Amino acid sequence: MPLTKEKIEKLTEKFPDLKIKFENNLYFFEIKKQNLIKFLTFLKETPDFEYKMFIDMTCVDYPLHKPRFQGVYVLYSPINKDKVVIKTWAEDDSLPTLINLWKGAKWAEREAYDMFGVNFEGHENLVRMFMWEGYKYFPLRKDFPKEGIPEVYLPSLNERNNIPSHDYSPYHTEVPTMEDLERTEKARFEKKQAQIILNWGPLHPGTHGTIWFLFDLEGEVIKNCDIILGQLHRGIEKLSEDLTYTQIIPYTDRMDYISAICSNVAYVNAVEKLLNVEPPEKAKWIRTMMCELQRINSHLLWLGTFALDLGALTIFLYTFREREKIMDIIEGIAGIRLNSSFMRIGGVRFDLPEGAIPVIKHFVKDFPSKLKEYEDILTKNRIWQKRNVGVGIINEEQVYQYGLTGAVARASGVPYDIRMLQPTDSYDKVDFEIPLGTVGDSYDRYLVRMEEMRQSIEIIKQCIEKLNTLENDDYIATDNPYVLPTLQETFISIEAMVKDFNLRIYGEQAPEGEIYLSGENPRGELGFYIVSKGEGKPYRLRIRSGAFYNLQIFPEIIKGRTIADAVVLLGSIDPVVGETDR
Amino acid sequence: MEILGTVLGITIKSVIFIVGMFLLAAYLTLVERKFAGHVQQRPGPLHVGFHGLLQPIADALKVLTKEDIVPQSVDRVLFYLASLLAFVPAIMILAVIPFGEPIEIFGFKINPYITDLNVGLILALAFGSISIYGVIFAGWASNSKYPMIGGLRKAAVLIGYEVALGFALVGPIMLAGTFSLREIVEAQEGFFGAFIWYQPIAFIVFLFAILAETGRTPFDVQEAEAELVSGYNTEYSGMKFGLFPLAEWYIATFVLSAIAVILFFGGWNGPHIFGALSPYIWFLLKLGIVFMSLLWIHWTLPRYRVDQITEIAWKVMLPLTFVNIFITAIIIMIKG
Repeated sequence: MPLTKEKIEKLTEKFPDLKIKFENNLYFFEIKKQNLIKFLTFLKETPDFEYKMFIDMTCVDYPLHKPRFQGVYVLYSPINKDKVVIKTWAEDDSLPTLINLWKGAKWAEREAYDMFGVNFEGHENLVRMFMWEGYKYFPLRKDFPKEGIPEVYLPSLNERNNIPSHDYSPYHTEVPTMEDLERTEKARFEKKQAQIILNWGPLHPGTHGTIWFLFDLEGEVIKNCDIILGQLHRGIEKLSEDLTYTQIIPYTDRMDYISAICSNVAYVNAVEKLLNVEPPEKAKWIRTMMCELQRINSHLLWLGTFALDLGALTIFLYTFREREKIMDIIEGIAGIRLNSSFMRIGGVRFDLPEGAIPVIKHFVKDFPSKLKEYEDILTKNRIWQKRNVGVGIINEEQVYQYGLTGAVARASGVPYDIRMLQPTDSYDKVDFEIPLGTVGDSYDRYLVRMEEMRQSIEIIKQCIEKLNTLENDDYIATDNPYVLPTLQETFISIEAMVKDFNLRIYGEQAPEGEIYLSGENPRGELGFYIVSKGEGKPYRLRIRSGAFYNLQIFPEIIKGRTIADAVVLLGSIDPVVGETDR
Repeated sequence: MEILGTVLGITIKSVIFIVGMFLLAAYLTLVERKFAGHVQQRPGPLHVGFHGLLQPIADALKVLTKEDIVPQSVDRVLFYLASLLAFVPAIMILAVIPFGEPIEIFGFKINPYITDLNVGLILALAFGSISIYGVIFAGWASNSKYPMIGGLRKAAVLIGYEVALGFALVGPIMLAGTFSLREIVEAQEGFFGAFIWYQPIAFIVFLFAILAETGRTPFDVQEAEAELVSGYNTEYSGMKFGLFPLAEWYIATFVLSAIAVILFFGGWNGPHIFGALSPYIWFLLKLGIVFMSLLWIHWTLPRYRVDQITEIAWKVMLPLTFVNIFITAIIIMIKG
């Protein structure tokens, strides 16, 4: 629930220069830069407020405004169970650092520095986050062109016998050289402390993608560790500033490619709230069901690869057996297996096909026995326990400090689940439980995820029951002016054709405003902070990725353990690089 | 003339054994792949030949014709030596392993073993220990970080389990009163004569030791692919790479399984229901069961961490073998 009147009064009393805006069920505070730390400390530490969980930090660029950059902070209070957004103008292009309040701000501030060039006073190691050291530009600034600045002469692109048909330029945007990479590596470690520096990645079988880990080893014990991200950085935030809201949907698929539908739903919900579109009942239930199917799918992939990392090769193929069934169901409904782009603003792309419900019913009936099979092999297995119990213990305080979300937070006993706290779609109408861990080690995270799959099955069952009664309902609210008509409608009515044309060319003219809305992804909270200037495209789209923040704690808690534990910890945190890098 | 005949006989037998072992090892890969396939609910190799029967030959051709890349910074002598050192000792253990009772063909009495030494078991252990050098050299000579960590891990594991293995064998030796493998088999008469009934602890330790020595799953830390890419053989390619898994996973596993059968399951003893060949058939059957159960363990369990493995070796396995020796000695003294 949002802040009460008394609390707001208390705030304005204490901070007279505070500007307050209430929009889309969310409080936006604007405060002067010199009062920022005081204000945030007040919010964090005052009883009855206790906004102690760090959710997100980003910047927005307003080139014509003076000062140019605006810092945006999102905080969550476990007591009030809601979020607030605090904004402040970065005078002299610099902001005070928050790492003394929240350790989780470290990477977020580095990212803001990397992308906007905003300086953070007092940051311990303000280096690039995704780009390499020595890169000259700040890509998310509005004056940086989307396609980059072609300035490096790379004639090798043209030295071929048959010249490609399109226009090939010998100039390319800047590419990192070996020296750049070495400089990047050096910037992460202050100096060599122990015996050898072991590199993992960028391409390594244990990292599940292109992350680059640096370990400073003493024997097999890790003395120091850092992570270099950015090998999969595609600049989705930059690209989406030039796309209509519907065109961004496929990009959200490609963030967390393992749980594409959940990302879709989180994004579409944010946009719908911004545009004030209400999807029909049936679409909501389909979304809920698909989300949970995708969640099981994603957890199965996690279980398989996690077990594979620990040497249990067979579980991997067992989980893929079930995953394949879900993939087939998704393919049957959405038409595409992996990056399905199934969601549309105002509904879903297709109605449920004939026979989808019986297939899902069968899967739901069949799956618990398979889940038991995995648990039989792993849960009580002594080797499994020996590898997992006590590895990477994360306590409640760290969850708030680093803004950990998803199964990682819940395994540490923090009941943070967006589905429960801020239900979108039909999550307020279904009945399910949130499994919580007690210790917060790898084993707890394993147990929590296993239980989550069981809860997902329960949710799917309820969705099927409901969907059986909604058979002939609409699946997309095409009478809303912001919603694209279906293909069928454009064929039979000229109005729909014109609307389709308008929406596709000019985009959904969203009202001016901003919104932060998140969804519960299998990997944590996936939040979208959208600033709209009344155009057909977002002025700024910030993606708060769960995996990015969850990964941040890895270097902290791996120190003093061996590299064999690093595999376990990484597997149990379960980052997907597509989402960390975006 | 006598000596020439013996030399000629042993040479011919050695060649037959080595070539046979090569072919067998190739087909053991097929066994493993089929077995793993069915454990994982997939068919395994299926398309080369009938149900993949020609797959090992295709694999061998592939691995032999691959480009053999030797990185510039390696220590060449040790780098080449390592793959041989891993391979040769494993196959040399074969010299002392008897596969059955002597048979007569065309009036010649042919022993199905190369030599029957009175220190056969010790020789087998010694050869097994040499193969550590292959791994350590490979790790060191590669001049790279993953192989070095892998090699050191393997060395730590092997040293721990060599000791436990040696002491585990003392029990059966005390019961049989000999080091000769043939005589150990002869000491186990009948179904209840097999030493597994008298030496269960030794057998368990031996089983663990086989898994650790051959780098199979609960103990495969040296090539934990999630951490070390491929462990000590990361820098190898072509047949030089092929020799490592061939030696470790197939020949060493096979040979150690054979020793397990000889020591604990009464070797080729068994009812004469298959006619003249029945000792061989019994031996291969038992060997197959032991080999398959090792595969079964490999394809089911996750792996330990390296410190946990050495902890088990020194804190659990070694004391267990001492207890076993102690109990065996007391029983022998009481029985006379």
